Amino acid sequence: MQTVLPVVYAALPLVLILIFWALGRHGLGQDNRFLNLFVILQTALFLVATTWAFAAFKLPLGFLHGDYFYIDSLSLYEILVTSMVFLLAAVYSRGYVSSLVEAGELDGSILRLFYGFFCLLEMVTVLAFASNNLALLWIFAELSTLFSSALIVTLKARENIVAALKYVFVASTAMLFSFIGIIILFAVSKTAINGGSLNWTSLFDAAHNMDPRLFFLAFSFLFLGFAAKAGVAPFHTWVPTAYIRAPSAVAVVSGTVLNLGLYAVLRLYAIGYAAGAGINLRLFLFIFGLFGIAVAGFSMLKRTNTKKIIAFSGVESAGLLLIAFGLASATALYWALFYVLGYSLVKSLLFFSAGIFHRQYQSNKYFAARQALKLQPLASWGLILGSAAAAGTPLFPIFLAKWNILAVLGEVSAGMLGATLFFLLPAVIGLGYYFIRLFRQEPGGEIKAFRTPLSMKLPIIVCLTSILLLGLWVPGGLDNTLGRIVASLGF
Amino acid sequence: MMNTGITGDLIEVLFVLILGTAAFVITQRALRSLFTLYTIQSVILAAIAVVLFAEHRTVSLLFIALLTLVIKGFVIPAFLRRTLVVLPSKRDIEFSYLTPASSILLSAVLLFIVYTSFSNVAEVLFSDRLFFLGGVIGVSLALMGMMVIFSRKKVVSKIVGYLTMENGVLLFGLFIAEMPFIIEVLIVIDLFMLIVLSTIMAFGIDSSIEAFHKKLTQLGMRFED
Amino acid sequence: MNWNTAVYIVMNPLFALVLSPLVLGLIKTVKARIQGRPGPPVLQQYYQLRKLFHKEIVYSEDSSFIVRLGPYLGIAFMLTASLFVPMVFIPQTGWFGNIILFFYLMITAKFFMVLGGLDAGSTFGGMGSSREMTVSSIIEPVTIMSCAALAFVLKTTSIPEMFRTLLAGSIFSYPTLILVGISLFIILIVESARVPVDNPETHLELTMIHEAMILEQSGPKLALVELASGVRQTVLMALLINVTFPWGLAGLAGCASLLLAAVTMAVKMLILAATVGLFESLLAKIRFFRLPDFFMIALFLSFITIVFELLR
Repeated sequence: MQTVLPVVYAALPLVLILIFWALGRHGLGQDNRFLNLFVILQTALFLVATTWAFAAFKLPLGFLHGDYFYIDSLSLYEILVTSMVFLLAAVYSRGYVSSLVEAGELDGSILRLFYGFFCLLEMVTVLAFASNNLALLWIFAELSTLFSSALIVTLKARENIVAALKYVFVASTAMLFSFIGIIILFAVSKTAINGGSLNWTSLFDAAHNMDPRLFFLAFSFLFLGFAAKAGVAPFHTWVPTAYIRAPSAVAVVSGTVLNLGLYAVLRLYAIGYAAGAGINLRLFLFIFGLFGIAVAGFSMLKRTNTKKIIAFSGVESAGLLLIAFGLASATALYWALFYVLGYSLVKSLLFFSAGIFHRQYQSNKYFAARQALKLQPLASWGLILGSAAAAGTPLFPIFLAKWNILAVLGEVSAGMLGATLFFLLPAVIGLGYYFIRLFRQEPGGEIKAFRTPLSMKLPIIVCLTSILLLGLWVPGGLDNTLGRIVASLGF
Repeated sequence: MMNTGITGDLIEVLFVLILGTAAFVITQRALRSLFTLYTIQSVILAAIAVVLFAEHRTVSLLFIALLTLVIKGFVIPAFLRRTLVVLPSKRDIEFSYLTPASSILLSAVLLFIVYTSFSNVAEVLFSDRLFFLGGVIGVSLALMGMMVIFSRKKVVSKIVGYLTMENGVLLFGLFIAEMPFIIEVLIVIDLFMLIVLSTIMAFGIDSSIEAFHKKLTQLGMRFED
Repeated sequence: MNWNTAVYIVMNPLFALVLSPLVLGLIKTVKARIQGRPGPPVLQQYYQLRKLFHKEIVYSEDSSFIVRLGPYLGIAFMLTASLFVPMVFIPQTGWFGNIILFFYLMITAKFFMVLGGLDAGSTFGGMGSSREMTVSSIIEPVTIMSCAALAFVLKTTSIPEMFRTLLAGSIFSYPTLILVGISLFIILIVESARVPVDNPETHLELTMIHEAMILEQSGPKLALVELASGVRQTVLMALLINVTFPWGLAGLAGCASLLLAAVTMAVKMLILAATVGLFESLLAKIRFFRLPDFFMIALFLSFITIVFELLR
């Protein structure tokens, strides 16, 4: 029964690639709606398999002798978030891609490539979450860089190629440093485990035997790469460039790749904490976290592009999550994981709405959005409520998470709390100011409304309802899972 | 304890030459010489692996040497030279943020910093002084490659910088441990770069990444931000 | 002062003086041959010097005693510096040979040349002097770093001691000397004002550095200046040769061994001269503001050498 998971996660996307290739030979390669059905099928199956795994299987699960793949509560949780986001993006892309093809921004002949990379990206991200071996995770992370940049390149603009190249270079360079960290970690693990190992399980069990200084050295290198993938300052430079050029659906799924980076940092931190390097690691994470929030906050004040401001909001949240990890407290970690779920939904909501605006006004700039509430009411409310949620307004999940994290931070260090609040302020102001300006544009003349298909409206509605629900009530199942995850990590 | 045998001396000479090629890569402006320097660097790396094999007799070292020689000594430089066909200008003159002189000064400082940070943990990670030297040089080579990526504008030069980084990582890996996955991972990286190179050849991107922005701004068409 | 030292004091500078015009001539011939023309005869520099000694001196009206005194000071300092680098045999005395003093003696000689260039008050002279000083100040860290590298590797700052250590060992026991050799080669190119740093055969305003400084000299003074430059080049070449290829240097001062050593050194010097000529023909002169890049490589290589020695 367990074999369902590898079949779905690994075999299904590959089968789909073959189908896409075969479809091309039979002339069906240009039909967006038909291809999209397959993608929706895959993402739906991923979600179904994951929820079933939550309900039916006893975690943790190991696959492939020697446990190359290992799914425990944390991995499955992240996979759940990923599959939800991918499903929403797949549904959204049905209408979005049709509109792009009509406008000529996306070539019909590369539709199969687009959807192919989409499916492969989901596969690679999920498999990365499921990997036990750190080197394997590294390979999957590199592949995710490759596939997401390929997705960015599918649009016909030259700037897209430039943005994709910047992404590839920043991410791959940082990942090479991570690889140095992996090598060091392997050497360190040899001191604690016979023959050395790169598996999360073995490393975590043997952590107390490791020398904290050595682990800290390995961690500093490893952090570089995964922080770049997560969009942590100062490695975040690719995030704004890539996110404004990518099609909205792609921007949404790139958010899951950001989660991958933070996931790796969390696992490494857990091992380091067990090894006794907690104090140094906390300082390390605090510095990067605070720096990220500051950079993002001040960058948000002067933005004129909707997608860029959403991207910087992602940088800010990565910084906050790093601080939450560094607190080494069960409560903070619980709410940090809750934040991951909530923020993925909020970000998707924002990008979906921004995408509709882009189709309507052919531009991402705030001054182009005239009569927004009249022409695109759903998307406008999506942006308003989404930005309010991202800033941390009550009744939304981000508020709960931020409140609790900051509360724990206050117990640990008042100064740090003050600094964090100080730097969070510009972020909130920036968001608010931007969207107020956006919705107060003069009406101008007659503008033709963009007919938003249902497939683009549906994800927004789903996101809105879920974040409203999550903001009011944490489901029991979620509560149990998060509690289990926190315990399994040793906090 | 320093390995003073003939192999130890030979490896030291090779280290010296590798750092020399890295220093030249930072300052070279002609694209063709960049590629030649990279080829020389990879050949020296293969030679180091062979000398290590002669000393320690681990078969995987020979395999790594062979792989390095074939992929990085022949295949990748061939690819690189083919991209020159689509590039209009064969020189990379502009430097952003770091001039060559300051890059080299910075590399010297970084070498020193790497040495000091690794020296505390040297006993655990490295078997002897020569290996420690190799590890330090590997990381320094990676850092110098990174400086090339950040100071150059043309994509092809950035790729050479990236490949230099990869050589540095491989050098580091040779001297620290028996890494099980290292060969597969490095193949993945090489494939990656080959794909990026083919993209460049296909799309014919050439000029510096910033040049697009400048031209677009001049024409008033730059909408980013 | 014993016999050994006395012979050394006479022989070493004499050797440098006699050999330098030959070296200069050989470099010119090599360059000319590569360019496809027969070039001047190899002994031409001797004839040139003899001609200059017979010409009258003309001083500019605005010049002071510096132009009159400068060439004497220059050659004096250079010959003193040439004492520091054993070319034929290694003296037993330890009075002189400090490498840093050696380089600063050469710099003092250059200093008086620069003053002489400024003294006449012409634009060429001022321009040449300022360029020469710029290049010199940029190459100085490289020089010091190379000295430090040599000192680290060979565990002494006395040049004769270094040569003695090298004679006893081999290049493979000091593999990092390859790097120091490269740095010394770059220093040689800079100090002797060769392409790619400066073209010694040009008289175009845009490209002159060293030549502009000595434009005001004439007659025997010019001969002395040329001789001083030649000695500077020869001495640096001797340093480079003995650091990388010391075999042939005599440890003792026997008659036969002296002769053999002199001949060996002359041959090595001529080979290096041909190499320099070849190197000059292969490169173009570097733009003035790109010179720091060129020097930085030399600096970097010396620095690595020091680090390597630290790690030994």
